[in-house]
Amino acid sequence: MWRSSIILVITFLLATASPSFAQKEKKEKNWFITGYIKNLQSLTFFDNPNLISPLNDNLLHQRLNYSHFIGEHWQIKAGLRTRLFLGEGVKLNPNYGSDIGAVGNDIIELSAVWLDKPGVVGHSIIDRAFVEYSKGDYQVRVGRQRINWGISSIWNPNDLFNAFSFTDFDYEERPGSDAVLIRKYNGYASSVELAFKLSADPEKSVAGLLWKFNKGSYDIQLLGAYHKQDLVLGGGWAGNIGNGSFKGETSYFISLTEDRDNALALTLGYEYQFENSLFLSAGYLYNGAGQKSGNILELFNFELSARNLYPYQHSLVVGSSFPLSPLINGGVSIIYSPNENHPLFFTPNLGLSMAENWDLSLVGQLVFAQAQKFTSPLQAIFLRVKYSF
Amino acid sequence: MDQTLSKYIKFFTCFLILASTITFAQAQINPTEIVQKANDQLRGLSSTATMSMKIVRPDWSRTITMKTWASGEDYSLMLITAPARDKGMSILKREKEIWNWQPTIEKVVKLPPSMMMQSMMGSDFTNDDMVRQSSIVADYEHTLLGEEEVEGMTCHVIEFDPKPDAPVVWGKMKMWIEKENYLQLKTEFYDEDDYLVNSMYGKDVKEMGGRILTSTLELVPAEEEGHKTVVTYEDIEFDVDLQEKFFTVQNMKRVR
Repeated sequence: MWRSSIILVITFLLATASPSFAQKEKKEKNWFITGYIKNLQSLTFFDNPNLISPLNDNLLHQRLNYSHFIGEHWQIKAGLRTRLFLGEGVKLNPNYGSDIGAVGNDIIELSAVWLDKPGVVGHSIIDRAFVEYSKGDYQVRVGRQRINWGISSIWNPNDLFNAFSFTDFDYEERPGSDAVLIRKYNGYASSVELAFKLSADPEKSVAGLLWKFNKGSYDIQLLGAYHKQDLVLGGGWAGNIGNGSFKGETSYFISLTEDRDNALALTLGYEYQFENSLFLSAGYLYNGAGQKSGNILELFNFELSARNLYPYQHSLVVGSSFPLSPLINGGVSIIYSPNENHPLFFTPNLGLSMAENWDLSLVGQLVFAQAQKFTSPLQAIFLRVKYSF
Repeated sequence: MDQTLSKYIKFFTCFLILASTITFAQAQINPTEIVQKANDQLRGLSSTATMSMKIVRPDWSRTITMKTWASGEDYSLMLITAPARDKGMSILKREKEIWNWQPTIEKVVKLPPSMMMQSMMGSDFTNDDMVRQSSIVADYEHTLLGEEEVEGMTCHVIEFDPKPDAPVVWGKMKMWIEKENYLQLKTEFYDEDDYLVNSMYGKDVKEMGGRILTSTLELVPAEEEGHKTVVTYEDIEFDVDLQEKFFTVQNMKRVR
């Protein structure tokens, strides 16, 4: 309960320091609050007579980002994410509140379920809270932060400090890690980074060294790490073939426990933007830890980590986006996993700029598999309205 | 990939070209030399600017604001300051390499060179208006038509006719170049059938960064009622001390 109170007080403090008030100041400000409020309406359809279909759910979501610059070298940043879940899907699961509360990448608990009633759940989490010191080529960061070691576009086997759910498109910031990062820049696109997230639980600890450099218009990186009871050797690149970008990333996980085998994760991708703004991408993921023949619904409940980024062993992705008008963008991404079930994950999306700072998006998530004669056993449609400030 | 990003890159390209067409003051009479002076580029020079681009349509408008740092044509950095959704996002260009910093996910994304080559759809500026500015001296014959007043300032009126086989898209251009400071106050772009396609206006003449310049550029398509794109410099400084080593991934994350 005390935790809920702290979260509520912080929410209140951040909320009263509203941006409209802040903007009245004329002198050079050294602190900023940004964020958004969004509402996500979802309809989930099941091709199963035992389930209620469609399920209608609503998620009201607020984010506040606070940054404060102190002198030339210091900076403090914090992020608060507050969500209110409401609807039929929430009501169906009596543990919805505790499930939401249990999801975390953190060592220090900075979250609270402040409302947990049948069909209504409220949750807040501080998913960023760090202090940064930077001087010359050095940067040191301590606290809850996002350490992103990914270099390729869709799958990131090098992103050891975080993995996020592929289907959760609504959390672009992704969770933070309670970690220490020490970085030294030694060229325009080169750096050496040491980062660690330590915990009494070896399944939660990650520590690694990343070396980034640039050669012949390629950004290249190499890493060595301890990652949740695996030793990891990995690397990646981002460069060009012709005028398109060619990226890849790989990690080899050497297991330190008897429970699992060593595993290789490898991804390749190519992207091109045509003169008329049509954007096309294609990619491949080899997941050594993936299933050789998985059910399509694995997609929504497999255990995600850097060593297991998608449920199946081989996956191919193609994507495209195009501006239908200056205010409307359309896009689609299709992932096909060539195995005996032929799972196909199809995500069309449409984005509309409704007004300055108001965005509307319509996103579909449809899965297909041969077992269902390529009809879709599960479909979800999301309508999101977002106001940014 | 986000089409928004693609829009910013277009804006970025547009800025780089605009920055290179700001004019110098010098006296000339020969029309080709007038054009040469009006088009004298700031290549190799450095600048920082705060600017906005507003796309206006009959029933809506959208504004993007940004800060830019540039050294010649090869090195530049841009920081988006509005809209709120993308505030803090930045783009770094070093020769043919481009990177994008996405602060919300703490990620540096290397972008394909093809992103710099797209046309400026979504604004009224096109590559043909902008990129080809550099060819206006070499690819056209220049005829001095006389003098006219634009917004109370006396201008040379010069007609541009393409040289045979010149790789240009316009059938003809007419440019009003202000006599004292060689400012391009107005340019009309005609197609091969002599129809007016676009007009570009240089407005709000003021001293910024020690130079007299048109702080607002408006591009108005002739056939589309109520459409225009307005680029406004709120602040610009020239010859700032920006060396190649300023244009790094580290600074891309740090500028504000």
